[in-house]
Amino acid sequence: MESSDETNGAAALDTLRTAARDPRGYVGRWRAEHPGRKVLGVLPMNFPRELAHAAGVLPVIVADDQQPVTEGRAFLPEFYCGFTRNLADQAATGRFDLYDGLFVADHCIQLLGATDIVRELEPRAPVFLGQLISSLNDISAGAKIAEMVATLRTEVESFAGRTITDDALRASIRSFNRDRALMRRVFDARAAGDTCFSPVELQDVVASAQAMDPDEHHRLLSAVVAAREPRPRDDRIRVHLSGHLCHAPRRELLEVIEEAGAVVVDDDLWTGRRYLQAMVDESTPPLEAIGRWYAERNVAVPCPTRVQHDVDWDRWLLDAAERSGAEAVVHLMPKFCEPHMLYYPELRRALDTAGLPQLLVETEHEGIPLESFRTRLEALVERTHRNRPAYA
Amino acid sequence: MTVTMPTTTTTPDRSRRLAVTREGGRMIAEYWDELFTARERGKQIVWYNGGALNPIFQAAGLAWCHGEAFAARLAAQQLEGPAQLAGAEYGYNAELCSYSRTHLGCAVLTLQGDEGGSTGVVGMHDQAELASRLPRPDFFVNNYAGCSTGQQWDEISYRVFDKEVPIFNISHPFLWGNKPDAGYLAGEEWESASRYVRDQLVDLIAWLEERSGNRFDWDLLRESMTYIKRAAELRREGLELCKAKPAPATFWDWISCVAPINFLPGDQRLVDYFQAVKDEIQDRIDRGISGVENERYRMYFDGIMNWNKLGFLSRKFAEHGVAVLAGRYIQNAFWQEPQLIDTDDPLLGMAQHYLLCPTNHGTKTLDYLTLRDCAEYDVDGIVFHSTRTCRAFTGPQRLLARSAQNNLGIPSIFFEGDVADASFYKEEILESRLTAMLEAIDVKRAQAS
Repeated sequence: MESSDETNGAAALDTLRTAARDPRGYVGRWRAEHPGRKVLGVLPMNFPRELAHAAGVLPVIVADDQQPVTEGRAFLPEFYCGFTRNLADQAATGRFDLYDGLFVADHCIQLLGATDIVRELEPRAPVFLGQLISSLNDISAGAKIAEMVATLRTEVESFAGRTITDDALRASIRSFNRDRALMRRVFDARAAGDTCFSPVELQDVVASAQAMDPDEHHRLLSAVVAAREPRPRDDRIRVHLSGHLCHAPRRELLEVIEEAGAVVVDDDLWTGRRYLQAMVDESTPPLEAIGRWYAERNVAVPCPTRVQHDVDWDRWLLDAAERSGAEAVVHLMPKFCEPHMLYYPELRRALDTAGLPQLLVETEHEGIPLESFRTRLEALVERTHRNRPAYA
Repeated sequence: MTVTMPTTTTTPDRSRRLAVTREGGRMIAEYWDELFTARERGKQIVWYNGGALNPIFQAAGLAWCHGEAFAARLAAQQLEGPAQLAGAEYGYNAELCSYSRTHLGCAVLTLQGDEGGSTGVVGMHDQAELASRLPRPDFFVNNYAGCSTGQQWDEISYRVFDKEVPIFNISHPFLWGNKPDAGYLAGEEWESASRYVRDQLVDLIAWLEERSGNRFDWDLLRESMTYIKRAAELRREGLELCKAKPAPATFWDWISCVAPINFLPGDQRLVDYFQAVKDEIQDRIDRGISGVENERYRMYFDGIMNWNKLGFLSRKFAEHGVAVLAGRYIQNAFWQEPQLIDTDDPLLGMAQHYLLCPTNHGTKTLDYLTLRDCAEYDVDGIVFHSTRTCRAFTGPQRLLARSAQNNLGIPSIFFEGDVADASFYKEEILESRLTAMLEAIDVKRAQAS
């Protein structure tokens, strides 16, 4: 018989899972509970949601909703990534009515292509690009970041029809930090050996955080965490998942990785550690702190969409593998993701040099060849087994 | 990976390409030969991407290699294979921008062939292959506007060379058009972005002076920009002349003029060249000679150039009596607004041209430019080159096609190809879709008469 904590934990996880997989349902409930308040769609990966939250807006990171692309095909070429084609499809089929506006802070040419489709097809919704400088070694980077964060604050105020006070912003920063810190505790525990959460469960936890109010998410996640007992690792092959920079990999792919005889011990996925690793400094003035958060995110988990000469995704990956004991790396590369394609040879070279087995899996929005992946993953597991000492 | 098959044609060539572009070809060939031997002449070499920084490098006493230009040249000569193979073996995905893939492949070849590093001419063992003759860089400069891949491409070049080559990056705001006052060459967004990029050019010049040890020659910059401005004016005047019916020259002639305006030194020879281009066009008008034999249709071409197929496409469209007259890659790129250049103080105007890269606008501005040019050249339809590995150019194309149909009643077709990878080109798709569009135009004309 389940204890009350377990029951509450299971119910809380179910609520998170539902919000992750059906943000429309969550937004509908939120709107009903907050009449007159707006919902802002924000595109990954770097828009500071705290600004919108402090203005009384619900900032929802627009997710790939895993629906097949139908009418959206008419608006973007087939060689745009699945996420952006899905965004175009959301706009083309009216699914973007979920949001009252759309803000984007990143310069990804595919993302901007999809954003222009939204601007064209959803003229009722304001669409704002507040481009955060992506070259972080530029002489003017600090000043440009500060300038853009201030602009974003003004634009969000205009969207919300409400001034953002420093006190409100501090409170929002605390809320998001608290939620990130709890998620990070879970991820750190996994890296240290706790397997009580499956990769799909953790993806639901993070994806729901990307859609929900942070206080509500924190309350539910606290119940989930309280109900879970740590579970030690067994001797399955320990795998680090790398990639999928701005949307979630298909859940069935995560499942098949573990079915192949591996256990996921860490990741740098967007719906994983990439989202939660960097915190906003609560001890500095809030707008300045948000600027620093952005500037330092690339240090927390290096991103191939940023340019920073002294920060290396490959070095970070090797360090992460050492911390978690990962024995192999699976690169999850969404088809047509050019930043990932450019950096992949550097990652491959570093892992090869370190003797870490790796597998590149190129993912697609729909129709992924799962059984082919299963065979290749099983081969990776076998290959990695041979790396283990005979008498460990 | 590129597989370039010879293209055979059984029909006579009905294109009448400008004779003067052969001189442009000679100038370009000389330029590259000079670059390959620049190190032997004591020159430091900069690899750069994006907007035309060559006047700054000229005034800084450097030799320069434009990454896209070199990739395009290899593709135009159908010599891109070795570089792309080297890139593929290194791990670059075939769906990656083929400019960057070719250029990074050259970087890999440069490193692999570095036994000849003391001479600066790489790949001594394999000099027959143009791809391996690129001298290794002393500096990288990134000047990419619009396409987000550009910044990463140079950052990766920096990493391929083990972070041993100094790199400078210029950041460009995307001209998105947030505010009601935003427009082409107008609004606060345009003004602030212009100033921001100009300030970075000042920083770049100081950076180059410090690292090269060369004093920057401001007079030489003013002088070269004076020549470039004049060449750009002549180019625009020549483009204006092509509005005539029948058109005296075509888009393909202007494609042949891209390299000279985009990266050759600013000097009298450049001005003379564009004067000769304009003169030949004027002469054709005077003598009633058209760029396509028996022009029947006028087309706009949207898409970055398919460099493997330049000659082939010019013949193909001419074969159908189609004069391709204008396109985003010609009318809206390459010093296309010479009036912005103040030759006494050229940096602001240069910065503005870098921002005017035809992939650095939101669709609202592109829509304005496309409709304007389609109307001014009185075109019957648009051919969209769905450039497989160029997400920057292809992103807005479907919206542009829709707008042209809705606002001007102009039909369009899409065909598949790529900038520098011939394997993506699909001949039968272009042939069948082009034929269908021309038939539809004929039907429309018959109904109207």
